[in-house]
Amino acid sequence: MILPDNRIMDRIPEIKPTHRILSLREKTFSATRYLSIEQAKIITRIYQENENLPVILKRAKSLAQSLLEIRITIDPEELIVGNRTPDIRAGVVFPEAGLSWLFREIEMLPLRSQDPFQVKQEDLSYFQKTLEPFWRGKTLEDDIYETYGNELKAIEEVVKINQKDHAQGHICPKVEDWLKYGPGGLLKIAQEKHRRSTPESKNFYESVCITLEASCKYIKRYSIMAADLAKDQPENELKKNLEQIAHICLKLSENPPGSFREALQSVWFLFVILQMESNASSFSPGRIDQYIYPFLANDLKTGRIDLLIALELLDALFIKFNQIVYMRNTHSAKYFAGFPIGFNCTIGGQKANGDDATNQLSYLMLKAQDHIRLTQPNLTARLHKNSPEAFLDECSRVIGLGTGMPQIVNDESIIPSLKAAGFNQHDSIDYALVGCVEIGTQGNYLGWSDAAMFNLVKVLELTLNDGKSMVSGKQLGPNSGYLFNFSNFSDFEIAFQNQIDFFIQKMMPACEVVERFHQIHLPSPFLSSVIDDCITKGIDVTAGGARYNLSGIQAIQVANISDSLAVLKKLVFEDEAIGKGQLLKALKNNFAGNEPLRQRCINQVPKYGNDVAWVDELGARWVGYFARKIKMYKNFRGGDFQMGLYTVSAHVPMGFYVGATPDGRLAQTPLADGGMSPMNGRDKLGPTAVLNSVLRIPSMMASNGTLLNMKFLPSLFNSQEDRRKFTSLLKAFIGLPIHHVQFNVVTSEELINAKTDPESHRGLTIRVAGYTAYFTELAPDLQDEIIKRTTYGEA
Amino acid sequence: MGKHDQTEGWIFKIKRFSIHDGPGIRTSVFMKGCPLKCVWCHNPEGINPDISIWYNRKLCIACGQCVEVCPTKALKLTYDPAPVIKIDKRSCHLTGECINTCPTNALQFTGYKTTIDESIREIEKDLAYYQISGGGVTLTGGEPLYQAEFSSEILKACKQRNINTAIETSLYCEKDIIDRILPYVDLFIVDLKIFDPSQHTLFTGRSNENIIENFRHLAASEKTVLVRIPLIVNITDTNENKAAITNFVFETNEKIQVEYINFNPLTENKYIQLELPYLLKKEENSNNML
Ligand code: SF4
Ligand code: SF4
Repeated sequence: MILPDNRIMDRIPEIKPTHRILSLREKTFSATRYLSIEQAKIITRIYQENENLPVILKRAKSLAQSLLEIRITIDPEELIVGNRTPDIRAGVVFPEAGLSWLFREIEMLPLRSQDPFQVKQEDLSYFQKTLEPFWRGKTLEDDIYETYGNELKAIEEVVKINQKDHAQGHICPKVEDWLKYGPGGLLKIAQEKHRRSTPESKNFYESVCITLEASCKYIKRYSIMAADLAKDQPENELKKNLEQIAHICLKLSENPPGSFREALQSVWFLFVILQMESNASSFSPGRIDQYIYPFLANDLKTGRIDLLIALELLDALFIKFNQIVYMRNTHSAKYFAGFPIGFNCTIGGQKANGDDATNQLSYLMLKAQDHIRLTQPNLTARLHKNSPEAFLDECSRVIGLGTGMPQIVNDESIIPSLKAAGFNQHDSIDYALVGCVEIGTQGNYLGWSDAAMFNLVKVLELTLNDGKSMVSGKQLGPNSGYLFNFSNFSDFEIAFQNQIDFFIQKMMPACEVVERFHQIHLPSPFLSSVIDDCITKGIDVTAGGARYNLSGIQAIQVANISDSLAVLKKLVFEDEAIGKGQLLKALKNNFAGNEPLRQRCINQVPKYGNDVAWVDELGARWVGYFARKIKMYKNFRGGDFQMGLYTVSAHVPMGFYVGATPDGRLAQTPLADGGMSPMNGRDKLGPTAVLNSVLRIPSMMASNGTLLNMKFLPSLFNSQEDRRKFTSLLKAFIGLPIHHVQFNVVTSEELINAKTDPESHRGLTIRVAGYTAYFTELAPDLQDEIIKRTTYGEA
Repeated sequence: MGKHDQTEGWIFKIKRFSIHDGPGIRTSVFMKGCPLKCVWCHNPEGINPDISIWYNRKLCIACGQCVEVCPTKALKLTYDPAPVIKIDKRSCHLTGECINTCPTNALQFTGYKTTIDESIREIEKDLAYYQISGGGVTLTGGEPLYQAEFSSEILKACKQRNINTAIETSLYCEKDIIDRILPYVDLFIVDLKIFDPSQHTLFTGRSNENIIENFRHLAASEKTVLVRIPLIVNITDTNENKAAITNFVFETNEKIQVEYINFNPLTENKYIQLELPYLLKKEENSNNML
């Protein structure tokens, strides 16, 4: 039955998910995760058979063959179909990028504490006997370590270089074009280009054509399978559904979508194929509510569907986003715990002319989040000064459900920051979030947003100790003197600056090496077909074909830097209340036997997050310095470097590299979380004071993205009146130059219970850092850190 | 600024993002001193107008530094058997050395002297949040009207800056004090506690005749008034008491709302720190308590 829109919109908070959706959700959620080597076998075969072809063609043929061969499944209940493996949430082995980590870790995979996978016996032996020996020495990872392994090792305590064993990802494809032309239409464009190609671009265009042609066939396979399954079904709802799937997939294999359901199905196929080509974290759909809305509006107008049907379809897509996970090595899984695959969907925001862009679909997506409450998609709401009150309210309501979503980003702060980074007005206003909190324009930007994480806190530790690591004892930086050699704070700061410069200089060539080998090993013709201006230029996206080509480096961590420098400035240099030698000795001993000194460091100087300008400005100054400094370099694709202020979950492992610090933090314990957040438990004055501190940090220079975590008590969302207070906090946030904030709405007691009794808390999701994960699937040290974060909203 | 800016007063806390004391996002200023002594008091550190030191055993790491620095030997590290600092309040001259030295903030004054200027500076930090949320400042305590001069000057300074003001009060004060602050208060949150005068005396230490009279006076003004009663088992939460208060308020001014709020029983720890007797044990009813 088709219902009028207004009756549905008014009732939205009460609408429950359908039985079908609940059943699909349960199946996704309860599936055991396995390692999958099916695609690896196909890729290996293609590489073996085509040894002399250029890599880009080998890659195109591998993808094409996988699209034709890989086993597919359809659950008759599904409204949206497609996956890259027959098993849900499988860990796909992807040989070109690197197997040596898996070679070392495969037997431990089922047992590791963070993100384990089961391994079937036959797969294990195939991997060990055939797969790994063939690829040894031929992968991205092998080449990077072969050429630059020692250098990477030498700086690893300070700089973590990313994407060394997997494809880059972190990109928003141009979904709009995919919907407009379909793979068939894109193929025609590429074929035309191919006919007129130069010797340099010929292989590129040919590869694009190969992948698009296979994409059409892949979609058709679903049509055939659905038709077959329908034949065996008795006359019922399921049979009708399968017939509809067959019809839709047949259409999409040749033509662009026409209806809302076809458009959603088409979007999902795009992301499945992108994952099959690259197996990477974060291909993000971007502003779904904008590019899908015309389909919805048309279907509603013609009466093909109503909002209830639309919502069920959207729910089904949301479930799909949870069926692909990305398997990382054990070390990396600690930095990105709980599968942040990064299907980031952005809603709200502004249109090209600056008008509010919120539409019915924006609200339906919030409702789908309310229904599904899984970790994907990563839902982001763009707010601006003219966001409608109703949208703010609905965001608050959904945040209050405690899934950590939507995370909130601020147009008023981000758009100017993008423009300052060199994006044009049109692209800046059309930005979306990529992955976790990375900021990007849609369909034209390879942001390489996760190039490296730079541990400023470690550099500070080295500056206290003549460049020598307090953890490993190694001489890592230049001999710049010990704390007791500095007669005043500014001399100390000069040494700090020199140490930072030293490591930036070491980091840049490492970033370059990684990018160079990505170009060699992982050209991505299918992705290039949906990124402007790769097709026009005839250049693969990894080789700089995109319109924008920046790289992002995260400065870590502003809270610990502010707090530690404040102690040095005030207690050590100005008041001389703590002796330099005394402090250094205590730090080296991890404050052993000197708890009073540690407590003085914690309690006798104000901390970042408490609205104390001079403290906040210490951190602001150094991240500002870092941002300016990296901007002086160009990346391998010729673009700028830009700073991000976010750690994902890396504050735990990065803290492990850092000895005790003057802020009273013990050796090897986590740093402050998030990126912009205060050190947990050190912010004593509530969220307004935190926001006031955060706004002193130059977010404008952090155009790669920032992250602020806040934890509130669920009671703040109990009554409409209280929720209104939360909404006004959101409104205040829009007025501040801060890009991002996200909320956990949970009591510490509940988290403690979940830790001790994981079985009864399987569904509890928590915002880690720019993404949501199942709390019980996180490693214990990360769980503890989240429990310790300060909660706001007490009476 | 004006001559009043240096007016001094005693407060024990300023709380930002206070969301349960009036509309919007607020900053609550907790004033020292209260003429009543409710057995369930939430903020016992606010009752006594005089400053003393208090000790939070949970934070203490028994380093003994406070004992060393005290010029009058008022502190002693003892064992029960866990280490604990004992304060001899008679020998303490509130010199503050121990507080400055204590690395964990386990020792604190129960309040501090401040000026209008200083308070306003704190208050103004969240100006943006008041404006957007329709919030402002709430004076609470203690009994804000106990320091009438200081309270009225803060409220006035807030109004000069266009900041919304609220006051949480028992209304136990001279009537002219009400008149004095009236122009500067946007919302009165009045705790009438117990209607029966003898019961009121029993549980708060004072009778409520003056309160009732002041309430009538206030209710006759144009000001917005909200009556808010904490529900204390067998004391304020009895049906008779609730009915009496509701009736009284309705008869006085039918526009005034009465709100009952749940009592937060986490306060006992504070009494222990202050070495005050806590008369309201959980689960015990009022009769065997006294
Ligand atoms: S100085 Fe503080 S921490 Fe040390 S013994 Fe005294 S009260 Fe306890
Ligand atoms: S305030 Fe002064 S006199 Fe009182 S205990 Fe502390 S140091 Fe001793």
